[in-house]
Amino acid sequence: MTKGALAAVLPAEALASGVAGGALAELEAAAEAVVRPESTDEVADTLQWATTNSVGVLPVGSGERLPKRSVQGRFIVLATDRLAGFEIYEPADLTLTAKAGTRLSSVNEALGAHRQWLPFDPPGVASRTLGGLVAMGESGPVATGYGELRSHVLGATVVTGDGRVLRLGGRVVKNVAGFDLLRPVVGSRGRLGVITSICLRAFPVPAVDRLLIFRAADVAGLEDVARAVRTAPTMPASVVVWAPTKKPAGEAALLVRLHGALPTVDADQATLQRSAGVVFESPADAAGISATVRDHAIDAAVGLRMSLLPSRLFEGLAAARDRLGDIMIAADAYNGSARLAAGEVDEAALVGLRDAVEALGGTLTVTRAGDGHAQPSLGSRPNSAERELAERLAKVFDPEGVFWPCRA
Amino acid sequence: MSAPDPRVVKRLGEIVGPDHVVTDPNRLLVYESDGLTSYRVSPRAVVLPGSTEEVAAVVRLLHGEGIPVVPRGAGTGLSGGALPTPEGVVVGTARMNKILEIDVENRLARLQPGVINARLTEAAKPYGLYYAPDPSSQSTCTLGGNVAENSGGPHCLKYGVTQRYVTGLTVVMGGGRVIRLGGAGRSPDGALDLVGLFVGSEGCFGLVTEIEARLLPVAEGVRTLLGIFDTMEAAGHAVTAIISEGLLPAAVEIVDNATIRAVEASVYAGGFPVDAGAALVVEFDGTEAGLDADADRAEACCHAAGASEVKRATDATQRAALWNGRKKAFGAMGRIAPDLLVQDATVPRTRLPEVLARITEIGERFELNVANVFHAGDGNLHPNILFDRNDADELDRVERASKEIMSLCVEVGGTITGEHGVGIDKRGYMRLVHNEVELKAMAAVKDVFDPDGLFNPGKVLPDALTGETIRDPAMAAR
Repeated sequence: MTKGALAAVLPAEALASGVAGGALAELEAAAEAVVRPESTDEVADTLQWATTNSVGVLPVGSGERLPKRSVQGRFIVLATDRLAGFEIYEPADLTLTAKAGTRLSSVNEALGAHRQWLPFDPPGVASRTLGGLVAMGESGPVATGYGELRSHVLGATVVTGDGRVLRLGGRVVKNVAGFDLLRPVVGSRGRLGVITSICLRAFPVPAVDRLLIFRAADVAGLEDVARAVRTAPTMPASVVVWAPTKKPAGEAALLVRLHGALPTVDADQATLQRSAGVVFESPADAAGISATVRDHAIDAAVGLRMSLLPSRLFEGLAAARDRLGDIMIAADAYNGSARLAAGEVDEAALVGLRDAVEALGGTLTVTRAGDGHAQPSLGSRPNSAERELAERLAKVFDPEGVFWPCRA
Repeated sequence: MSAPDPRVVKRLGEIVGPDHVVTDPNRLLVYESDGLTSYRVSPRAVVLPGSTEEVAAVVRLLHGEGIPVVPRGAGTGLSGGALPTPEGVVVGTARMNKILEIDVENRLARLQPGVINARLTEAAKPYGLYYAPDPSSQSTCTLGGNVAENSGGPHCLKYGVTQRYVTGLTVVMGGGRVIRLGGAGRSPDGALDLVGLFVGSEGCFGLVTEIEARLLPVAEGVRTLLGIFDTMEAAGHAVTAIISEGLLPAAVEIVDNATIRAVEASVYAGGFPVDAGAALVVEFDGTEAGLDADADRAEACCHAAGASEVKRATDATQRAALWNGRKKAFGAMGRIAPDLLVQDATVPRTRLPEVLARITEIGERFELNVANVFHAGDGNLHPNILFDRNDADELDRVERASKEIMSLCVEVGGTITGEHGVGIDKRGYMRLVHNEVELKAMAAVKDVFDPDGLFNPGKVLPDALTGETIRDPAMAAR
């Protein structure tokens, strides 16, 4: 029924099936239709239709990083995979405008020809779409050296829940022409609108990308070196605390990436070694190790994100191991955030950890809930004023609330 | 201006102390405008609270009486953002000037909004840290004003603007409600980036009373180059070549011949050749070991683009002299004409040579003296129009030339303001970059934060959307 009604507003190609597998396939089975628009106008038509007909909309990028979720009620999946390709790329401007469904791998391939790249390294980065990354607001640990993703998004075309097209920001690095409605969209996880086109800052590819490793018997054994590195008078590209499992012992490691020209990287390494009083090893398979650390939690049943001031990070990590047992840790030691991966986690342990992290001044959120008792709703919440403002903002962008499946 | 209600003035005095309420017309003169002096309105009163609690009580009282609040920092803004409204009361942050904490380990500062930008960097210096955004007015502008305007500065090419550095805010909202937004080390589930949205809201959403900001380690070394070119176009090509080389300078600035002449005739003279078409300042910072190589490559780019001379600062004094010509350019122009309109717009960097040529043509056509100073690295232009506002015909030409320059910048893919904000001055240009749907969405977002419309009314959004009309005849003339 829904598909028939949508056929009246969209071309046949936008309703052809054949998207990805995984969590998306399960959602497709539950959804009334999967819509694959090719243009901003088609996205607007779809959302106007959904608003008029009170049907929920779940926007997805590649769908590969979509957490399992149970969506109850009438909804459609809006996939951005056909919204792909570059719009404007002028290498000397160091900016790039591309459609939201464009994969980061193809962007970096094109940028690479001009020795440029987008400095993002969150899990599964290569297969992810620009729209997905921006909607999730995920930069990965290279945000230490380059700044967070949110500061690299210069502009975007966003279609609101009721089908209004907003061209927010622009394609210049400095732009203060009006209230910055783009900021709340970045990281909003699809709750404010469907992003159809994005302008991002590009950066020169560093001449040298060096990975340094310091190993310790356990996570606690990395603390002093991590502190020395993040308070040293130099800015690494990233500083990651990595512990694959609690056992066997001896696998905890601090991974530091240095970017720059060869003499700069050599000097920075010397500075860090002097500050920390240790000698780092430089592994042969740096890219492989970085990828393993980055993607370690992709298939975990339960994914958690812990945020703390960097000075409290190791207390938070110790609390996590105390309560959750054998978990994998990849923590950004510079900004104090950590990704934790576990098998099943029971509710009491999760609540206990959340309370412990909040007592340290931080927050804990559930990014991937398993089949057991870990529920997203158990995570830390914004304060009441922030919740109230967020609710009212959501009404501006999505007056009829069609993006409700994003909250499921 | 209507006379202030004595009952309200008395209550304000009880909250902040009678010495911190200004109603004397002579003292109010100071508050009639910000750095954009062509707009002047006298406020009903000015209040200078000393704490978040006092701001909350002041806002509660004023909003209870239906009186609009106009926030004000140091008044260095260049778009009339702090221009009083005739019915409103200005709430100044001058007394809220304490740095509350420098958290060295987490590289964070917590401070009140009246802290002067450069003072934060001074306070952080003993710990090897600094605050990155450095607007040219940094020795006088306040962090609260920087948050309101999302200020930039020469070094934001590499380091980004204010938004990137503000991690948390304490805000007094409508009716005097105190709320906290964000905070380093917090990323709760379902949070939206309200801090990012608040930064750059030009005092229209609420009044910031506490700021948490990120600090960076001071770079180990700096290299500053000064390239002299016969033409602006050649300097523009040098910039493109430097970026295409894969170099990421901390700052890339250009001043044109008109500016060079103004600077060299002033106390800020830095030894620029007065017949040069353009001077390019390029700065690299970071680890000492790599800097000479970067500077060598940039120097080669300058020569390849036709530089007649490239100087390199080797110490702090020489560096300051090279920068003086750029940072003090606005001051130097004060000698030449009674009034100066500092324009602000951004274009994609590669369009700079073309845009500069067309700005020159616009200036000639309207018989105006236009001097260009700009952040070439990020395409942020500041065409400065020198004029005398007592000359009605010239004022009219300034207006028409400004509008053409704005239209030109938008036409090539840029925008109407890069770092000065919309304020009162550019509301009329907002429709060049945003359609009605977008402007209405902005108005609806203002309504989320300020449903009664009592924070800085009449700013940012065009008249028809805010329902405000400007009554002052001097402003209506513009």
